[in-house]
Amino acid sequence: MIKAVAVACDMVTPYGWGIDPCWKGLMSGITAIRRIDRFSTVNLHTDNAATVPGLKAVKNKSLIMQMLTPLLSKIVPGIPEETFVILATTTGEIEILERFVLNKKSEAKKSLPGNLLDKIITLAGTDGKGMVISAACASSSAALSKAASMIRSRELDCVLMVACDCVSEFVTAGFSSLMALDRDKAKPFDKNRQGLSLGEAAGYMLLMSDERADREHRSVIGEIAGWGLTNDANHITGPSKDGIGLSMAILNALESAGVSENEIGSISAHGTGTIYNDSMEMRAIKKIFGQRPVPVYSVKGGTGHTMGAAGLLETIISFCSLDKKVVPPTVNLRDIDREAEGWVSSGQQSFESPVTLSTNSGFGGVNSALVLKKALKKAEEIL
Amino acid sequence: MIAVTGIGWLNHKEYGLAIGKIKKPHEGIDSLYSRFKHESYFLYPVKNFSRFDIISKMTCFCAALALKDAGILYSGDQKKEIGIFGTNETGCLESNLDYFRDYIESGRILARGNLFIYTLPSIPMAEAAIHFGLSGPLLHIAFNDGKISSLLSFAGKSIMEGETPSILAVKAEEASAVCFMLQKGDSVSAGKGLYLDNVIALSDKSNFEEMITSLTGSFDLLPDNPNKN
Repeated sequence: MIKAVAVACDMVTPYGWGIDPCWKGLMSGITAIRRIDRFSTVNLHTDNAATVPGLKAVKNKSLIMQMLTPLLSKIVPGIPEETFVILATTTGEIEILERFVLNKKSEAKKSLPGNLLDKIITLAGTDGKGMVISAACASSSAALSKAASMIRSRELDCVLMVACDCVSEFVTAGFSSLMALDRDKAKPFDKNRQGLSLGEAAGYMLLMSDERADREHRSVIGEIAGWGLTNDANHITGPSKDGIGLSMAILNALESAGVSENEIGSISAHGTGTIYNDSMEMRAIKKIFGQRPVPVYSVKGGTGHTMGAAGLLETIISFCSLDKKVVPPTVNLRDIDREAEGWVSSGQQSFESPVTLSTNSGFGGVNSALVLKKALKKAEEIL
Repeated sequence: MIAVTGIGWLNHKEYGLAIGKIKKPHEGIDSLYSRFKHESYFLYPVKNFSRFDIISKMTCFCAALALKDAGILYSGDQKKEIGIFGTNETGCLESNLDYFRDYIESGRILARGNLFIYTLPSIPMAEAAIHFGLSGPLLHIAFNDGKISSLLSFAGKSIMEGETPSILAVKAEEASAVCFMLQKGDSVSAGKGLYLDNVIALSDKSNFEEMITSLTGSFDLLPDNPNKN
């Protein structure tokens, strides 16, 4: 069977430019959530978010393009011209719309993710084929699953998946109105968690069939081995309390990968820090893994919730963890919730299996699960 | 093989079922909710329908018609393994503007959660999934060729890959919407569906009315045993 493998990836996160600062930041247990200095937070539920250091709102270049341009420019020579591009985002270049409403500058239509896709295609130098996938906060994990599916079915043999979202007044005010934000900093799986902290990130993953990667002597980072997408069909903003939707996504992903639950060595949870999400996730995980505690962690106490980019960021970190056989601490976890005891830790947890699971959920009840496998040969120069 | 077992559509003056060859006039989108309840397209009240944005309303209307055309009964309590993929030309642009203008007009003091929710393009599909009990994959996809055929082809491949046995594929705009029920051929009774390839060929007309006329016209129904193909 054809395998869908990652041959290149990079990202910018609130820990800085590149994968290494993010991995090291998470492993240090120090959060990158900081005070917002981009817009006034006087009337918002929190002053904090995980923003990329040095990123500033300017007239001529969106925050998103400030993140994507340096990242993609570096790998243009390695992107085949016929590569299909998938963009995953929830709001894309939303500042363009903000400026339109505030100053009547530009055109609101220019904020559409389709326009951003065109810019990415131009930047990447590919021949124009692409799509935008949006599934709320599961956007990039859903996009990765579709990219892998198109490769495994031999429809395509090279896909560039780009994911991005930024911290904006538009989004922060919205989450604030839903009372979904922690006033301080997100504390996933903590007894005293109060909500999420927003974050921003951008990144890409170049995926190929294993045949093509081998033919072109590409370093392989890891395999997107299986995937499952489901919907709770229950509530527009809240997850289904029983976790059935997410557990079905996990089961579908295991089946798609042809692995059993016993082969999963660790789990990158969505772990937003909201009361209901984290509780639902532990129930879903326990439904599948029973009483066998698997190391579970969330990166969102460190990176914040990077929305449409979360699935990509977490997949890259999952590949790092497979490479190093250790999962990072769940940052900001002080007093563990009873449901997560024995599974989630404020410290690093080691594991041996070369297979891991990454899950995401989002508004509208969307759930995604990805089964990821370690590369047979180590790709030291990438991770 | 993938079959299209139901096609529901509506525009500013009519709605219909393409396979069932039903077309009815209406007096405006605002009048449709009570009419759909009366005619049992909505089998029970759609929760919070009056708060939906227009794309969510159009999505629910045409999904109800497609399910009716396919002869599928639904229940929010008994979920079905049906996915829902949606596309449209401007995503949630109008809802983004409504929400942010409202927030600015409040003096940047109070954003309204009820408006913010609809600033995600996948939410109209989520509203439909909640009402109709659809537990399969849910995505909003913007294809850079903007074609309905791209959506149908993408949905068909997802079924072929075993990701879900059936999908509602929706294109919902403010003034018109169309929804296709796609199912695996072996789950369809003889004569109850259309070949996906035939529907794809007819779906890219430049004009909505022309597309609906083509889809409602005569074309081959599935044979007795679709698996033979």
